[in-house]
Amino acid sequence: MFHFKSNTGFFKKTAIVGIVTALSLSLAACSGDSDQSASGSKDSKISIIVTNGKGEIDAQFKQTAKDFMAENKDINVQVESVAVGDPMNVFDKLTASGKTVTMAMFSPFDATHKYKEVGMDLSGEKWNEETNDAIKSEDGTIIGFPFAIEGMGLVYNKQVVEKAVGGEFDPYSINTQDKFKELLDKIKSSGVEYPVAYQTEAWSVSNHYSSLFLNQSEDPNTVLKEVTDGKFDYMKNDVWNGYYNTMDILASEEYNKFGKRPTGQYYDAAHVAVGNGDSAILFNGNWAFDSLKALEGSDFGFMPVPVDNDPENPLNNKIIAGPTQALVINKKATEEQQDAAKKFLDWLVYGEAGQDFIVNKSQIISAFKNNPNKVTNPLGIAISDALVENKTLPFSTNYINTGDWTTILGPEVQKYIAKQSSRADLAKAFENYYKSNKE
Amino acid sequence: MMKKRKNLGDIGNSALFLGPTLLFFSMTVLLPFAYGLFLTFNKMDTPADPVQFAGLLNYISAINDQEFWKSMWLTVRFVVATVFFVNLVGFGLAYLVTSGLRIQNTLRTAYFTPNLIGGLVLGYIWQFIFVQSLPALGTKLGISWLELGWLGDPTMAFWSLVIVTIWQTSGYMMIIFIAGLISVPKELIEAAKIDGAGPLKRLLNVTLPLMVPSFVVTVFLSLKNAFMVYDLNFALTAGGPYGTTKMVSMHVVNKAFIESNYGTGQAEAIILFIIVAIVTGVQVYTSKKMEVQA
Repeated sequence: MFHFKSNTGFFKKTAIVGIVTALSLSLAACSGDSDQSASGSKDSKISIIVTNGKGEIDAQFKQTAKDFMAENKDINVQVESVAVGDPMNVFDKLTASGKTVTMAMFSPFDATHKYKEVGMDLSGEKWNEETNDAIKSEDGTIIGFPFAIEGMGLVYNKQVVEKAVGGEFDPYSINTQDKFKELLDKIKSSGVEYPVAYQTEAWSVSNHYSSLFLNQSEDPNTVLKEVTDGKFDYMKNDVWNGYYNTMDILASEEYNKFGKRPTGQYYDAAHVAVGNGDSAILFNGNWAFDSLKALEGSDFGFMPVPVDNDPENPLNNKIIAGPTQALVINKKATEEQQDAAKKFLDWLVYGEAGQDFIVNKSQIISAFKNNPNKVTNPLGIAISDALVENKTLPFSTNYINTGDWTTILGPEVQKYIAKQSSRADLAKAFENYYKSNKE
Repeated sequence: MMKKRKNLGDIGNSALFLGPTLLFFSMTVLLPFAYGLFLTFNKMDTPADPVQFAGLLNYISAINDQEFWKSMWLTVRFVVATVFFVNLVGFGLAYLVTSGLRIQNTLRTAYFTPNLIGGLVLGYIWQFIFVQSLPALGTKLGISWLELGWLGDPTMAFWSLVIVTIWQTSGYMMIIFIAGLISVPKELIEAAKIDGAGPLKRLLNVTLPLMVPSFVVTVFLSLKNAFMVYDLNFALTAGGPYGTTKMVSMHVVNKAFIESNYGTGQAEAIILFIIVAIVTGVQVYTSKKMEVQA
């Protein structure tokens, strides 16, 4: 009996081992298969792999690649999009599996930091004439093609503001903190109890708002260098303090719909309030439009975030706009592949179908002045107008490590907003972060 | 001869019954777990980085990560609160719907339904309730402590998480308790009644001891769920206000994928796994000892 039992055990174990082996073999076989199919390129055609970091325009991107291939029969473009919400970069995945991505879409920060070895020099490209937003490496070489422009500032509801000021409203007329307060008071006396609906998502108060001070030098890298070297004195810096003075106004009990308890998941509530006119102003970017759930016939625009009371200060007269996605051509690709990728970029800038793909099909604000199309989103229109009129400052968020800022500094800024810490504490938190993060 | 055939049949049986489960268990749990464990001994910023041996470096930085232990302590408090209330409410509901009410079947369905809604959806629904509905109600009725959004206050945000967890999971525990309650032999209850035990005595001295097997399961499930909570945390409070409700799973995800510190994040996940395994192991072992035979 005993003998029999132990035998069964042995066979059970064998079965388990067998199954596990079979399983791992089948897994290995799977990965082997996919490798094979990708490397097999078509004889005379030049094959390039392009990664698309904006998963939401996957279909449009693939369609435009098809259109491009129809015009350029000798090039085969394979588009690889990230899945929305996938934390792993599609570039890493493809590279890890042994493929060479010819052209990759990165955030400008990644393009100049994590992947700084990837991008080749694009300074000689013709499209540089049409844009001021190409991505430069630290030594000033152009390495990135600005694919999408986004912008931010104080979003306002035109109807509510115009009613308060009694007529046409020029957002750029609000170029000092005093004028801004005056406007808020006017809105209040027009019957809107709380003119501001300030939402305090971590990424918004840190990555977006708290990076604005980098724009005090013409090239944000200059200030950033001081910051990363630990030489920046936050408390003595007028611009840094100025932005938090403005934040105090935005979050105050007097003006803010949520002022009595300013932090606490108000993103939707704030956007709906400004969208339907219960409030007038919030801080966000052009993507806010989707959340505003605007009433029919209402219109929105951007005004600059005032930092002090000097009407001549450019920071008070411009909104933030810049590339948030960049295309980078891989140094490791063959020359033929690089040329094919450059051709694709030219097609996006100069080709009618390429221009149409960027703006009309994908609703992306173009970085190129020669693109005649306009997006339909009123906040996007405000940004493309500002670009044409030269009323934009660099997109300061591009210069910081957004991952760390969201999770490490975001809560610190929220703490300041909720009056759980002083401004000196906040300055200390920034200092400590850069001290512990020397790179 | 006979013996051999029997053994062969055994292999077939094992493969038939164990095979599919084992296949999927290996694919979704065992292999990723082993690979994940392997990765903690390497220096990696993202899961796709080239593998580079780093010894115990990731574990050292995980143990030195104060935020990790802060969120762990918060999670422990969350575990205590939810395990207690989920089981209390779950048992109460089960007692209610087995007590012979006329609408008890409808009630069972009603109490169980929240469990069918995913944590993310639930989080966004309750966010609306805590941020907009309750304050609106508070303003209308003049209840001052209700007038402000709950999720902006650390204590209220914490209890919001607990409340939603209770609402979501006690219906599920109720089902397990119902099965336990029904299997308590009627004659034992009757015998106790004849001996003069009141309703409370009958509950404490007869029903509850016989329900221990159910409690083993429900406490285990609610422990594990509470330690691992992520989706609800993400959708309801996002760790806010100012990072005060960031549970340990959220900290691990942030570390590994948002701050691009995959090695450390993965090591923290392993530490979390070990802690949860020990806690639940001790719980199952000790409470099994409390089981009694009818």
